[in-house]
Amino acid sequence: MTDGWNIVVCVKQVPDADDVSIDPETGRLNRSDAEAVMNAPDYNAVEAALELRDEVGGTVTALSMGPPNADAVLRMAVGMGADDGVLLSDPAFGGSDTWPTSLALARAVDELDADVVFGGEETTDSSTGQVPPGIAAHNGWAQLTYVEELEARPDEKRLAARRDIEGGYERVAADLPVVVAMGFGENDPRPAGLHRKIYAETDFEPETWTAEDLGVEDEVGLAVSPTQVGGMDTADPVPREQEVVEDSEELAEQIAEVI
Amino acid sequence: MAATSDSGVDIEEYDDVWVFVEQHDGEVASVTWELLSKGRDLADERGEDLVALVMGEDVAETDIPQQCIARGADRVLVADDPVFEPYRSDPYGEQFRHLVETRKPAVALIGGTHTGRDFAGRVAVPTHAGLTADCTELEMEDGRYEMRRPAFGGDALATIICPEHRPQMSTVRPGVFPAAEPDEDRDGELEDVEVVVDESETMTEVLDREVGDVADITDADVVVAGGMGTEGDFEPLWELADLLDGEVAASRDAVEEGWIEPARQVGQTGKTVRPKLYIAAGISGAIQHLEGMDDSETVVAINTDPNAPIFDNADYGIVGDLHEVVPELIEYFEEHEEAIPA
Ligand SMILES: Cc1cc2nc3c(=O)[nH]c(=O)nc-3n(C[C@H](O)[C@H](O)[C@H](O)COP(=O)(O)OP(=O)(O)OC[C@H]3O[C@@H](n4cnc5c(N)ncnc54)[C@H](O)[C@@H]3O)c2cc1C
Repeated sequence: MTDGWNIVVCVKQVPDADDVSIDPETGRLNRSDAEAVMNAPDYNAVEAALELRDEVGGTVTALSMGPPNADAVLRMAVGMGADDGVLLSDPAFGGSDTWPTSLALARAVDELDADVVFGGEETTDSSTGQVPPGIAAHNGWAQLTYVEELEARPDEKRLAARRDIEGGYERVAADLPVVVAMGFGENDPRPAGLHRKIYAETDFEPETWTAEDLGVEDEVGLAVSPTQVGGMDTADPVPREQEVVEDSEELAEQIAEVI
Repeated sequence: MAATSDSGVDIEEYDDVWVFVEQHDGEVASVTWELLSKGRDLADERGEDLVALVMGEDVAETDIPQQCIARGADRVLVADDPVFEPYRSDPYGEQFRHLVETRKPAVALIGGTHTGRDFAGRVAVPTHAGLTADCTELEMEDGRYEMRRPAFGGDALATIICPEHRPQMSTVRPGVFPAAEPDEDRDGELEDVEVVVDESETMTEVLDREVGDVADITDADVVVAGGMGTEGDFEPLWELADLLDGEVAASRDAVEEGWIEPARQVGQTGKTVRPKLYIAAGISGAIQHLEGMDDSETVVAINTDPNAPIFDNADYGIVGDLHEVVPELIEYFEEHEEAIPA
């Protein structure tokens, strides 16, 4: 593999977590005013992808699935330094849970002949963390999740990683192709360079693929999603006394009462 | 209800509640006991068996399978092979997939640890099962199994159903359900199952593994948590926690600063704690943090900002500098040792 690696990084457009509010009248979630942004942990994924390319050579392609305007997150990734971008966009994808979502992405990364696929640890809007392992499972590839640090081993055609585990860490080497879920906050994502950013916003046009292009038109969407949302309740805040005391001694007395 | 659903899955063929037993080096993760306790209730409500699945090397010789019975399992399936030690997603996923396909469980519960969240998808994808992440409630409602999980960072609670696919799989974070006491007199069956994974087919290799003595903050009666407001000085929090026989925890931002180890992080991407007393010092009370501490009986907040959201989510609060308040609390309890339960 003298030409370096085909690296794909999956990025998702999400409503800005700080803007999602609950309508006090209806008790419903108000997502419409929320600005659409790139999922925060995905910045770590893009950074890791770019660092890996810097080390082993090759290309980084940003991949997203979403409505046509989700091209904004591809432009963000290209601005940071990704070479190209592909958007999976089709009304047929609507209502997909993690099973069909990871299927569509799995087909796309296979199409892109990926050696390494990056994703963020989880998304801020649905926070399942299931999509990267789902891509790996659909393709029968290896996976590395909760990754803190990567170590490329091009001679062995392997990628090793330090993973966060309960109470410590482990180092695991995986055969290519491999799907990597980067731990949130594990690196310092670079800002978009000015020239790159101008290119991303003016000249760059991502390719768009439909469900049919991927041959998954009968396997995506709400109808084939194993899980369905059966209802949504606003989480009632736990009732608390909300008593503010004046000095530490009073606070200590309250603490003594409850322990 | 039609026996065969639109998906072509004969859902009537599937029964029993399964719990994945997470063990590393013979140490069982505490979430396993929590899931066996919850799984027992579900199995009783559904009129089905509770089955524990143990994977590892030489696990059959440990007391783990017997412990699973004491903790509520009717049956324990043991897959014993060196390929399962240490944990790797591909052999675990493959073995679990095989057992699901041949034995058809209706419900499968897996700890929402990095291990559980790592391989759950490798079971759910090939079996086309429904997988719901980080459930906080699991209920039978009018004969329908409902999984509930926080959505939008904890602002909402989504009910997830899985009408036409089996198994209905969930991951559940440690600390969400209480564990039951073991009953050594319970009876159950142990069964060794066929191992279908071969080392030559694995795609990964564990080069090394470092696990320290990790504190279990999910088990503490008193948790003293610090955030960015500590400015990195956790010393007084350790002192107070020691005095009150509690554990120190932290917000994500404090963990990211490297002030304290990740195992002590409370919240959406950390642990769920349910102590009698939770002291939040210099923590703003972001929704992702609240999610991990909302089960605390009493919450005490120390914050310089009277408008910090933590005050709306606390029973007792004080507007003040934690660098003054915490030492004053320490002083009080040093002088009033009788106030601390033995
Ligand atoms: C996907 C995702 C997952 C996340 N998961 C988690 C999670 O699991 N857990 C978590 O905690 N966060 C999580 N977060 C981050 C969360 O949104 C907040 O950023 C974080 O909780 C803030 O930490 P903090 O309260 O310590 O810091 P800040 O928000 O900076 O608050 C510091 C507080 O300290 C007070 N203060 C300052 N000085 C003093 C002083 N001397 N004495 C007393 N008070 C003082 C300030 O008034 C302020 O209220 C997550 C975010 C995302 C996007």
